[in-house]
Amino acid sequence: MIMNLNFSRRQFLKVSGLAIAGISALSSLGVTYGMAEVIIITEQAEGLVIGDPTKCVGCRRCELACTEFNDGKASSTISRIKINRNLQLGYLGLYTGKCDEGKWGIGLIIQDICKQCPHPVPCADACPNDAIVIKPPINARVVDSDKCTGCKMCQRSCPWDMISFDSDTNKATKCFLCDGKPKCVEACPAEALKYVRWRDLSRSVPTRISPTSVISQEKIQACMGCHK
Amino acid sequence: MAKHGGWAGKVLRVDLSTGKISTENTIEKYKDFIGGTGIGYKVIWDEVPSATKPFSPENKIIFGTGPLAGTGAPCNGKTAITTLWPTCWPKPLVASGHMGGHFAAELKYAGYDAIIIEGKSEHPVWLSIEDARVELNDARRLWGLGIRRTTYEINLQMGHEASVAAIGQAGENLVPMSVIINSVSHSAGGGAVMGSKNLKAIGVRGTGSVYISGKKEEWEKAIKFHLSLLGANNQHVVPSSPQPWAEYYSPGSRWISSKGRNWEASRPPIETGSCDPHNLNRIAYRSNNAVFFLGNDAWKYTVRGNGCTGCPIRCHTILRVPSVYSKYAIPEIGQNTCGGLNFGRAFFKTFPDGPKSQTSIEACMVGMHFADDLGIWNNYGLLQRDFQKLYYDGILKTKIDEKEYKSYSWDKFEKGDPGFLFELLPRIARKDGELATALGMGTGYMLERWGISEEDWKKDPALQYWKMGHPRHHSNEDSGQIGVIINTQYNRDAQCHSHTNFIRNGLPIEVQKRLASELWGSPDAVDATLAYTPMNIYKAKMAKWSLLRKELHDALALCNWMGPISASPLKERGYRGDDSIESLLYTLATGDKKSCQELDHVAERILLLHRAITIRDMGTKEMRTMHDTIPDWVFEDIKDKSPFSKGTNRMDKEDMRIAMDMYYEEMGWDKKTGAPTLETYRKFDLGDVAEKLKQKGLLP
Ligand code: SF4
Ligand code: SF4
Ligand code: SF4
Repeated sequence: MIMNLNFSRRQFLKVSGLAIAGISALSSLGVTYGMAEVIIITEQAEGLVIGDPTKCVGCRRCELACTEFNDGKASSTISRIKINRNLQLGYLGLYTGKCDEGKWGIGLIIQDICKQCPHPVPCADACPNDAIVIKPPINARVVDSDKCTGCKMCQRSCPWDMISFDSDTNKATKCFLCDGKPKCVEACPAEALKYVRWRDLSRSVPTRISPTSVISQEKIQACMGCHK
Repeated sequence: MAKHGGWAGKVLRVDLSTGKISTENTIEKYKDFIGGTGIGYKVIWDEVPSATKPFSPENKIIFGTGPLAGTGAPCNGKTAITTLWPTCWPKPLVASGHMGGHFAAELKYAGYDAIIIEGKSEHPVWLSIEDARVELNDARRLWGLGIRRTTYEINLQMGHEASVAAIGQAGENLVPMSVIINSVSHSAGGGAVMGSKNLKAIGVRGTGSVYISGKKEEWEKAIKFHLSLLGANNQHVVPSSPQPWAEYYSPGSRWISSKGRNWEASRPPIETGSCDPHNLNRIAYRSNNAVFFLGNDAWKYTVRGNGCTGCPIRCHTILRVPSVYSKYAIPEIGQNTCGGLNFGRAFFKTFPDGPKSQTSIEACMVGMHFADDLGIWNNYGLLQRDFQKLYYDGILKTKIDEKEYKSYSWDKFEKGDPGFLFELLPRIARKDGELATALGMGTGYMLERWGISEEDWKKDPALQYWKMGHPRHHSNEDSGQIGVIINTQYNRDAQCHSHTNFIRNGLPIEVQKRLASELWGSPDAVDATLAYTPMNIYKAKMAKWSLLRKELHDALALCNWMGPISASPLKERGYRGDDSIESLLYTLATGDKKSCQELDHVAERILLLHRAITIRDMGTKEMRTMHDTIPDWVFEDIKDKSPFSKGTNRMDKEDMRIAMDMYYEEMGWDKKTGAPTLETYRKFDLGDVAEKLKQKGLLP
């Protein structure tokens, strides 16, 4: 269900099923908000890519499909699915003394994939430019590159370290579910990836980093609006 | 200059003597040689004078990738390592090894197509490459460590994503039979050359991209097309057992997935299944080289497949064998393919519980544990065959003193106890004692040291010894005269798979003949295995094509173990592959439009340069008699079957003479000497190379 709620009274815009284009369309219709208008994503995504580590053979064809077929260049750094960082020494890796996964360990390779977080969406909330928005009909959390200034605040906010940064464009990039036709899933030669109906993984997957981003006063205000 | 996709654009040059680090423009300097072995041979020709010794600072070692490395082109994980090959006997000559894994992609993402290492450091160093930041680091504390520990230490410093190519103790101790390894199990020779330069390892981390010139939609289409034509490992295109989708099957195929065959050591187990070729999401289940080489018991221990960047085939298998931990206190996990898997097992003639038994798999695990950590090379299995011959023919006992002889537990060896490897392998890496030192030198130098004639080795068919210290590698057993020709051409075991991938693809001979006539002009280019016919011109064409495609793949950074795509598993295509797939990928990736003929032309230039370096460094143009030799066993048959009769690989001497004539003719080389002619060099823009050879009287 798509809900359009106008929280302008509370200087708060709740973006529901609005397309990126829709947001500006609204503005152009003359809808005005207060100075501190902000985007808070409350809608859930429709789909999600999940990985089965027992089947992953570490070929990185998903990383390559993600970047070549979407960006026209091959790069594991900007790939929005992350294999390379867990490939050799595992998810916890050397610094924890627990390099028991990956090629050098028991062979298990954990695919790191964006969880398309439910509200509150850490990366979106951390963006000072409201550049992480939802894109219907899948409602993937996507970077609106017109708005992204390359400040990397989102990178510091994702607990799973799933925001990539493209130094060619100087913009952040993240999994946008390939608008519902994930290239990575199609590319996997081991059926180790699946595109499934969205469910909340954000509480079941151990985080990689402790987010260090700061949420703006405006967004905090907006949160308070609902969570009094 | 127009910006090309594919190439990273720079070649890194590191002078270890002075510490100077510089870069060169790939396109300006090396485009005519594409990359990989092409860059390697060019550097050796231009910069390494003849009579240079492999371990002298004047020798160089070139890590070459190519324009397709790091892209999504299937099977692009290779780094060609070119240097003066220390096991090449009686005189070290140029050769290349092919290291898979993740090093090539990472190097490209860091912005380099190749690394040229020259000089010699005063003390042990390791090279770190983090994009534009390239540094030499003190490696004194890493010296003496195995590859595994070295990799950990470097990853601690460079981060998890870095790919580390390191040498072990064997390379440090200048054991000629040593390798460089990245990503656990991906090796290539040249370990001791790195050791001689005091270079312990190269760590590389790249955060950049490899750009695709063509439209991304076209690239996606090309990639999917290529994937659709893939078979299993070695491009075998039919399954090994009957499958619902398959018209044919062939027990020798490496496509061994099937219903009921599981990766049993995965938790929970995973069924490989029928793997219809149209299902591109199951390519990774088709091959399991542990099972192919070690037998069906290996299913029990299979965790999953593994391999290089961008390759769906996964020719390395990860095995989990818990008993080796309790028995030998080594990790229960191991992984490799072919020679690596067989490394430990192949030393033994028998095992208490049979040839493809639990003990034999344990021997494999022990072998991998040592070989891939100490960094020892097996010379395509000749090390192990030499060892058996030396022992069982009683030669060994006469060559080492009694005290040393008694220091080995020969009863363990005879029984097939993998524990014996704990005695032998670390000693090879340390050059500890006469036996270990001799084995580590490589066959040619070992024979010389022990006063054994090479002819004795050439006569024994069980050794499969070919020439110059190295064994055959897909020779007459794989395509008669074609395999023989190919095996005469290199200065190490021939690393060419173009021909065997076709011959062993599992299709019936009628289908192979139909495809052969499309590819090489006549069905007569191929014979059924063990039913050879006399030489003809089409076989010469196929031999030439095989060699060119090998060099092309080594230059593009495609895996010649998986190409060319001369056949496919697709019935609706009449099992046709696509001979121009390299050109399609190269053109789209780089933006430099080249047909397959034009690419073959470049490949021929590369092969020709290899020939020129060999001639220059041998100091003779008499290649036919002094280089392109064929061992006696090729012309013999244990049961004395005559050549061309059914059931024998035996070749005929006169017929092979004709075969070499035809091959030289195809190549534009002088038939008498086997040396390329001036015109041929000129045709490939190597006129300057020819001039230099001419001055030395090395043109025919
Ligand atoms: S990038 Fe991170 S925070 Fe943002 S939606 Fe994905 S997993 Fe959640
Ligand atoms: S769904 Fe698309 S954007 Fe997301 S990781 Fe997969 S290929 Fe990349
Ligand atoms: S494509 Fe599949 S098997 Fe390969 S790395 Fe990605 S998830 Fe793993």
